[in-house]
Amino acid sequence: MKSRRTFLKQSALTAAGTLLVPNFLKALEIQSQDTFANGKTLVIIQLSGGNDGLNTVIPFRNDLYYKYRPLLAIPGEKVIRASDELGFHPALGKLNELYAQGYLTVINNVGYPNPDRSHFRSLDIWQSASDSDEYLSTGWIGRYLDSSCSGCHVGHHAIEIDDTLGLALKGESIKGMAMTNPGKLYKIMRRPFIRKLNSENPLDRIHDPSLHYLYKTLAETASSADYIYDRSNARVATATTYPANELAGRLKTVANMIASGIETKVYYVSFSGFDTHARQAGQHERQLSTYADSVHAFVTDLIKCNRFNDVLIMTFSEFGRRVAQNASGGTDHGTANNLFLIGKNMKRPGFLNETPDLHKLDSGDLLYTVDFRSVYATLLRQWLGADETKILPGSFQQLDFI
Amino acid sequence: MEQRYKHFFNRAAFGMYPQTAKASRDEGIPNLLKAASGQKDIQVLAGELENIYPAKIKGDREKNKERKANIKASWILLNTGWINQMNEPSLVVREKMTLFWHDHFACRTKNPYLAQQQNNTIRQHALGSFSDLLAAVSKDPAMLQFLNNQQNRKDSPNENFAREVMELFTLGRGEYTEQDIKNAARAFTGWGFNQRTGQFVFRKNVHDPSTKTFRGKTGNFSGDDIISMILEDPATAKFITLKMWHCFVNPKQTVPESIHELSHSFYSSGYNISALLENILKISSERNMTGSRIKSPVELITGIRVHTTGQFKNEANVLFLQKVLGQVLFQPPNVGGWPTDEEWIDSASLALRMSLPALLLNDSETEFDAKDDGDVNSVNYLLDRNRKISFSVDWNNLSNIFMKATAKRTIETIEDYLLAKPASAANRKSIQNFAGKSTQDSEFVKKAFTGFMSLPDYQLN
Repeated sequence: MKSRRTFLKQSALTAAGTLLVPNFLKALEIQSQDTFANGKTLVIIQLSGGNDGLNTVIPFRNDLYYKYRPLLAIPGEKVIRASDELGFHPALGKLNELYAQGYLTVINNVGYPNPDRSHFRSLDIWQSASDSDEYLSTGWIGRYLDSSCSGCHVGHHAIEIDDTLGLALKGESIKGMAMTNPGKLYKIMRRPFIRKLNSENPLDRIHDPSLHYLYKTLAETASSADYIYDRSNARVATATTYPANELAGRLKTVANMIASGIETKVYYVSFSGFDTHARQAGQHERQLSTYADSVHAFVTDLIKCNRFNDVLIMTFSEFGRRVAQNASGGTDHGTANNLFLIGKNMKRPGFLNETPDLHKLDSGDLLYTVDFRSVYATLLRQWLGADETKILPGSFQQLDFI
Repeated sequence: MEQRYKHFFNRAAFGMYPQTAKASRDEGIPNLLKAASGQKDIQVLAGELENIYPAKIKGDREKNKERKANIKASWILLNTGWINQMNEPSLVVREKMTLFWHDHFACRTKNPYLAQQQNNTIRQHALGSFSDLLAAVSKDPAMLQFLNNQQNRKDSPNENFAREVMELFTLGRGEYTEQDIKNAARAFTGWGFNQRTGQFVFRKNVHDPSTKTFRGKTGNFSGDDIISMILEDPATAKFITLKMWHCFVNPKQTVPESIHELSHSFYSSGYNISALLENILKISSERNMTGSRIKSPVELITGIRVHTTGQFKNEANVLFLQKVLGQVLFQPPNVGGWPTDEEWIDSASLALRMSLPALLLNDSETEFDAKDDGDVNSVNYLLDRNRKISFSVDWNNLSNIFMKATAKRTIETIEDYLLAKPASAANRKSIQNFAGKSTQDSEFVKKAFTGFMSLPDYQLN
């Protein structure tokens, strides 16, 4: 594998004649001294649609659970038992393997005050880390980029594996990058038209601020695309077999980038299909097994390339679902939910806090006891080494899981 | 071409039309505004609410399924109905202002009938008096529902409506106290609507008639009184003027004395929107603010249609493009409205935006996929899996208009027509070389259009 310095030298040579790339290379040089350099990576998996947490981590000894869900509850004998009170959905066998090895911490009852049951709004709240009556136009990961290295080109320090960039990765002055895979973006940026635009329009000759911003974004995208493609191509193909589904494919792309030593600090992957209003059982089972099998392969891959030590995986959903089943064999939008953290050296593997209290509901919904921004605050400070007070609106308690 | 003329079309509309490019005389902003301010309601959902979507019947699975399908089909009709009307030359200024207020009064509803009704209410007042517009939107059922005023009762006030009216629609943050919100919310108790007819109702039995103190005044205030008092405050005029300035003049730069002057005359005109628009456009062109803002996705899509007079042959395309570019009409991200200017641009969105002209003008397939937002009720009609774009343009007509005596002249004419500001010499040369390989006039024009529209420069207006 090429070292970063060798790569820089080579790029500088191939890019001779353009005035753009040197700016970008200079940015990379600066980054080696800043807070990005702690070597830790955070992978976020968003379960879009509102995962039914109660049928994911199941309170199999709770009579109320069976009373509220006469048709949907998972029978006790089918539950994969994890503690005296809680167990996993039978489709989560592979997640249970990670749990058995001490790699998984589950936080129950995660939510926020005055929960919003609309998908778009609750996702907005989770991605921006705002209060439920506050509207922020930046995301928490974006603000992390802003706060950690202002002024330098660090877009690829947060990558969303998707064609479009979500709010979470948008900062005030720095935005993360979106790509489904490095090859696709590289191909687009290599088009003769775009290369010509970049080489024939040096940034120092564009004085109009809006136009400068556009050409700068284009130049930086091209540089990052080159760099990431070059790096990730250098890695020998993984020996790990991933299941054949989109989530697994995206996680494989992430593993590949992590293994190739790109300095990306945060990867963001979404997996949708959790909005189970009707005929939930079969659909939810497929979703969960896809999730567990894919994440298991991802972890296996990271272990094989010796990077699992430096990677933490957080899985969340915009809300849980109503405690009681509905009339269509499904569940409607709810509030508090469980959240998964997967890593090599979890301080408190297993269940971090109390099980959901089905006696104390707020018009049929679970009450939250952990603000999701406490999880963010902990990840930012203890994992990414950032100052979370500059990133999150307000002060949130540090949790004890890393 | 007269720069002021082009600037007017870029800002007050979605760009020049081929036929207007030919007539390059300056008609003056007032005349242009007048000629493009026609009004036509969107009436894709005709009839009474109760007939269009009969209430859900418990247990009747077939009927409810039909209802759901009907609602989905209505959204498609409504969205495409509006986007197809947006670029009509005689309506375009009113449509642009309707889009502006649609973002300002950002609202989501699950009921397309209420969305259509609100859209027509906004359209009706879009160029009239902001006082009337505010009064109408405040009594609009979709808005009352979105901001939870149906739940605002004297025994359990809900402050959401009162707060957003002041924070986002009129005064802006810092111009009122929490106490003002509490008292205003009490004044708005009882403002609701009839679920069956979709009409505003004042429910006297849940209204709090007791004394309220609002912004230093004490009285037995109704919701209408609160709205009047908000409008009496010049801070409201300033807030709206600033927002219009950012959209029609420059999103990054303000000129305090101009803002002061504009908002003062806006206030003393009784909140006359078209007068404000006219004054703002004058300043915008005098101060040469051309090319200083980034088009929103709907402006970009509509702009391409205006510039080429092209039509989508497959309506699903126009829904998909809104989704993948991040701005679906009737679906603002939150009550704060859509992003603006540079917030629209990131590495992926810029690449997609730049590839859009080639996609449309060559009927190709997008390589970008829209995010699945996870909502089972919304994804289907927005995520057409067949992303083959089908868009028809009459290139012979465009070539009749744009072909000049020399290739160089043709290139310059098209460039001036499409771009707010001249392209770099290098870009112009590349595009001329690219188009120069054509054997036919229409092909030359098509290539020149595609080239200039694919430049980052085309993102600006």
